[in-house]
Amino acid sequence: MSARARSFNEVLLSVEGISLSFGGVKALTDISFDIAKGEIRAIIGPNGAGKSSMLNCINGFYHPQQGAITYKGVRRSQMRPHEAAEQGIARTFQNIALFRGMSTLDNIMTGRNLRMKTGLFWQALRIGPAEREEIEHRRAVEEIIDFLEIQHVRKVPVGQLPYGLQKRVELGRALAAQPELLLLDEPMAGMNIEEKQDMCRFVLDVNDEFGTTICLIEHDMGVVMDISDRVVVLDYGRKIGDGVPDEIKRNQAVIDAYLGVGH
Amino acid sequence: MASSEPEPAMLGPFLETLIGGLLTGVLYSLVALGFVLIFKASGVFNFAQGAMVLFAALTLARLTGAIDGREVHLVHFIVAAAILGSALAFVAWYAWREYVARGGGAIERRRILLLAAGGALIGGVVAGAYGKGSWPLWLALPATAAIMGVLAYAIERLVLRHLVNQEGIILFMATLGIAYFLDGFGQTLWGSDIYKINLGLPKDPIFLLEGVFEGGLLVDPGDLVAAVIAAVLVVVLAVFFQKTRVGRALRAVADDHAAAQSVGIPLDTIWLIVWTVSGLVALAAGVIWGAKLGVQFSISLIALKALPVLILGGFTSVPGAIIGGLIIGAGEKLSEVFLAPILVKQFNLAGGGIENWFAYVLALIFLLFRPQGLFGERIIERV
Repeated sequence: MSARARSFNEVLLSVEGISLSFGGVKALTDISFDIAKGEIRAIIGPNGAGKSSMLNCINGFYHPQQGAITYKGVRRSQMRPHEAAEQGIARTFQNIALFRGMSTLDNIMTGRNLRMKTGLFWQALRIGPAEREEIEHRRAVEEIIDFLEIQHVRKVPVGQLPYGLQKRVELGRALAAQPELLLLDEPMAGMNIEEKQDMCRFVLDVNDEFGTTICLIEHDMGVVMDISDRVVVLDYGRKIGDGVPDEIKRNQAVIDAYLGVGH
Repeated sequence: MASSEPEPAMLGPFLETLIGGLLTGVLYSLVALGFVLIFKASGVFNFAQGAMVLFAALTLARLTGAIDGREVHLVHFIVAAAILGSALAFVAWYAWREYVARGGGAIERRRILLLAAGGALIGGVVAGAYGKGSWPLWLALPATAAIMGVLAYAIERLVLRHLVNQEGIILFMATLGIAYFLDGFGQTLWGSDIYKINLGLPKDPIFLLEGVFEGGLLVDPGDLVAAVIAAVLVVVLAVFFQKTRVGRALRAVADDHAAAQSVGIPLDTIWLIVWTVSGLVALAAGVIWGAKLGVQFSISLIALKALPVLILGGFTSVPGAIIGGLIIGAGEKLSEVFLAPILVKQFNLAGGGIENWFAYVLALIFLLFRPQGLFGERIIERV
């Protein structure tokens, strides 16, 4: 179980001095780290450490009171989620957030939403440019469906799918946007070993084949240490570790945070 | 309502009542559709839908000059401003699209301002030319549409957006407040007389199938035209929401706000579209009901008729609203005509009024046995 030794030069996203609080509760305190283009970056930490809050800041759901996020060289302190999506940030959620009434196919199609350009009129009539566009997007979506091996549930309303498949569809929807940065919030939570292995394979393949930068939150240490290039560790809203998996494994603060220390 | 005595040959009167009921039902569907659109996209039960219908009807009636000899300068002024606003809004919308498509910039910003100024100028000229008299329908209709659009936008922007993620009951109370405000404000603006809207529809009743039934089947051509308009509108909306990108986005928003945002769907824009569309649906309903019954306060109570329609069809289903409307429309007419005489005969009751409660009793029965309605999503709560 050793990390894949890869090196990256270009920084895709950097987080500088982010602090976020809800009323009197401090969720994040002065967090800084960066995500390099092409890497798999993991955020780990005990429950309530602020991992999801961090992801929500990057994605624009939360607006940190202090600090800034620089993405593709553009520095910003606030961004709305749909703007993040327009700039190539896609994500999945800890508690699956699919459009339950729609089929697998339609769910993944929504991921293409931003890439559709033809006017409403043509779309409604389904002729001319709209039809060509629809076909083109359908092709892209079918490729994703093949890639994730969910052909057999294409037309099934996702509400009826088992948990593991729902997670996969959610990944598919995020991939459909062809993101540059993919945020995965506990993609393997609640899965059995086999499902976890499948998901690991998909994450690695996405990273390898499409060159997508991935930032993931995960609790399974075996998985994290196996697939990620670098790991950042949060505890009580503070950063307590940052480095390649081997460093993290030896980091005393991290070990204490996970195992607990007598005070 | 015309209640004909049942004759030995019941089929003729039955069909006649059924047709009349279905035609009314289409109009119920139209009002119900306004509810469904907003409920689907934002989870708000918009009690103000009926008030919006009344407001639209009042506006149109007043613009087409239903009051003789009364000139209200303020009103004209407001109307002029509304057209202006409409031109502005449309232009801004168009420019915004351009703006986004080209990545934005100083030139686009200047162009938006320029177009907005142009829109204002056109609005001013039109208002100046027609402002003092009564407006022709072709002008009054788009102006009313514009006013409804602006109104819907204002409701969304000023009230509901600030209540996002609040309890359903709070949102409901907010729309209740809006409903009463609109009912009153419409009268403040346009007066409280009963107006007429003249769409120039034929008035003489048509007789169908005279060869088959004695005397034929009597159908009101006004109802027929209204039903056709409503049906076309329903189909257009259905296509819009099922087949287009915006439609898919709307369904996505309805299912999960956060997920919709994460795939790049702007919530504000979708809500704005939905409210505007429901404002336009209110206009269509207002015009048709106004032409049928006259524009008066009771029109806003039609919204209450849409409630049982929604319970029948399911709060989130467009086809449900259509079918529900037809069932209620036909059911209440049939019950009035055929159930009432039986009650009178058998139990010596006074009879009438069945039309008023039939829909609600049907809805109650549905609530007991099929609370999600005919087409609604099944309500399954995990514990």
